[in-house]
Amino acid sequence: MDRIQKIAEEIVEKFKKSGYEINRKDVYKRLKLLIEEFKVPESEAIRTVENYLIKELDISRDKLVSDSPLVKVEDIKTPGQWVSLKAKVVQLWDSSSPNVSQVGLIGDETGIIKFVIWAKANKPEVEEGKSYLFANVVTDSFGGRMQVNVNRNSRIEEIDEDIQLPPREVEAVGALVAIQQNSGLIRRCKKCNRVLTKGICPVHGKTEAYDDLRVKGVIDDGESYYEVILNQDNIKYLTGIGLEEAIEMAKKHYDREVVLSELKNRLLGRYFRFTGRKGERYFIVNEIDFLRYDGKEKAEELLSKLSG
Amino acid sequence: MDRFKRSVARRVFAFELNEATHRIESEEKLVQLLLPTGVPCSRVFIVGVLLDREETRPDSDFWKIRVSDPTGVFRGFIGKFQPDALESLLKIDPPEIVAIVSKVRLFEGNRTVVTLRPEFIVPVERDVMNYWIVETAEHTLSRIENMKKGGKELVEEAWRIYNPDLSKYEERVKEALEAVISSPKVEEEEVEEEKEEVEEVEVEEFEEVPEFSDEFEFEEEELDLSDILG
Repeated sequence: MDRIQKIAEEIVEKFKKSGYEINRKDVYKRLKLLIEEFKVPESEAIRTVENYLIKELDISRDKLVSDSPLVKVEDIKTPGQWVSLKAKVVQLWDSSSPNVSQVGLIGDETGIIKFVIWAKANKPEVEEGKSYLFANVVTDSFGGRMQVNVNRNSRIEEIDEDIQLPPREVEAVGALVAIQQNSGLIRRCKKCNRVLTKGICPVHGKTEAYDDLRVKGVIDDGESYYEVILNQDNIKYLTGIGLEEAIEMAKKHYDREVVLSELKNRLLGRYFRFTGRKGERYFIVNEIDFLRYDGKEKAEELLSKLSG
Repeated sequence: MDRFKRSVARRVFAFELNEATHRIESEEKLVQLLLPTGVPCSRVFIVGVLLDREETRPDSDFWKIRVSDPTGVFRGFIGKFQPDALESLLKIDPPEIVAIVSKVRLFEGNRTVVTLRPEFIVPVERDVMNYWIVETAEHTLSRIENMKKGGKELVEEAWRIYNPDLSKYEERVKEALEAVISSPKVEEEEVEEEKEEVEEVEVEEFEEVPEFSDEFEFEEEELDLSDILG
């Protein structure tokens, strides 16, 4: 690609970002004429072509402000900087203030950072799990931590890339000391996937539902605890009881609670090793297995330390 | 998340728990025991042998249990306020290895006694007991280390109140570890047996007892436990 082609490409990109499709060939021809034939300096040529396009499209120049530099989350260290970043929405929190439209966490492969979309910014809402370009956001520090604020001059664009998040997986060992409510064979709302209580969805009321199997529990290592969620696959791996088996059991006993009782008998009080990713409150378990090691060996090791 | 702060389940041998006599109040107004090795304790995780269960009075639905580890015996009570635990208890035929998560209570009568109010009790495999002993030994040793170092407020308080003979504690830890080493090999059938039992499970009203129930005093607390414990 020659120099002029490259400049043409940049101009096309810039207009595209602002939502305008322009003819690359036309841009190239005009640039080539100015730069090669008439020896106009590059920057002047670019400005001239841009001005021409702006007039042609009948838009104002400030629609074309170029974006703040693209950075990674780990680069955000000082407040008050204008930056752009490509990030995935990790988590949305409940906004406690009417001035805030959305608040939560976004992240890329280098880190996770809090973000705030001010209500005044008047931006369309972002969704958890989707990746966006957050252009022209302002870094800020709040309570000793960095965050980015989305204001009126910012731009949020959904992007086609799936931004990877940093490995925030923890690995831990502990005993399952509690299995909480809404575990076992549960029913979820078909519309929103929320767990139904007595057949009622907290949002959609009486609704169509489907079965799911999960365990919400507490794994405790004697120093701290992890609130964990095991999904169907985890449960099947540990107990051999998958969703189908659970439904069979419930049918046989005319009672869904037998599944929960069975899971409690098989899992409570046992030690586990698991890896998981922390959500706001719960660790979403990735892999989990019963803890296995040679207790005698470890006991001997401790004994020799004691006498040593 | 702090709203839901839950107290961790301490790993403590019967020998140590039974020595605890002192109550402390934490910031959250949660009543906790001060262990002789200088940490607060309001909940324990135990794996031991259920030696026996005995209804305190006929049809009272109030059962006294004794659970042993290599260092001593835990005493506890299970009543209708722990429906999950009560249901499981009635299916267990002692002696059997069980895992228990329990709140601890201090009963102050003629002598001060620590008792358990289990949240659940389930039969578990022998492996689990060995893991528990090893883990509890580790935790106890690390608490002993902290006692030796001194300095922390609760550690100092423990010294003042209990003035524990740490070598005695280390001796008990050793005995517990030796029990693991001499324990028989785990047999596979043992595990299988337990799994079959579960088919019989009945309807169970699941009730989540919120943390603040710590503050509730149930009527069972009013019973004079001195005879029973005697």
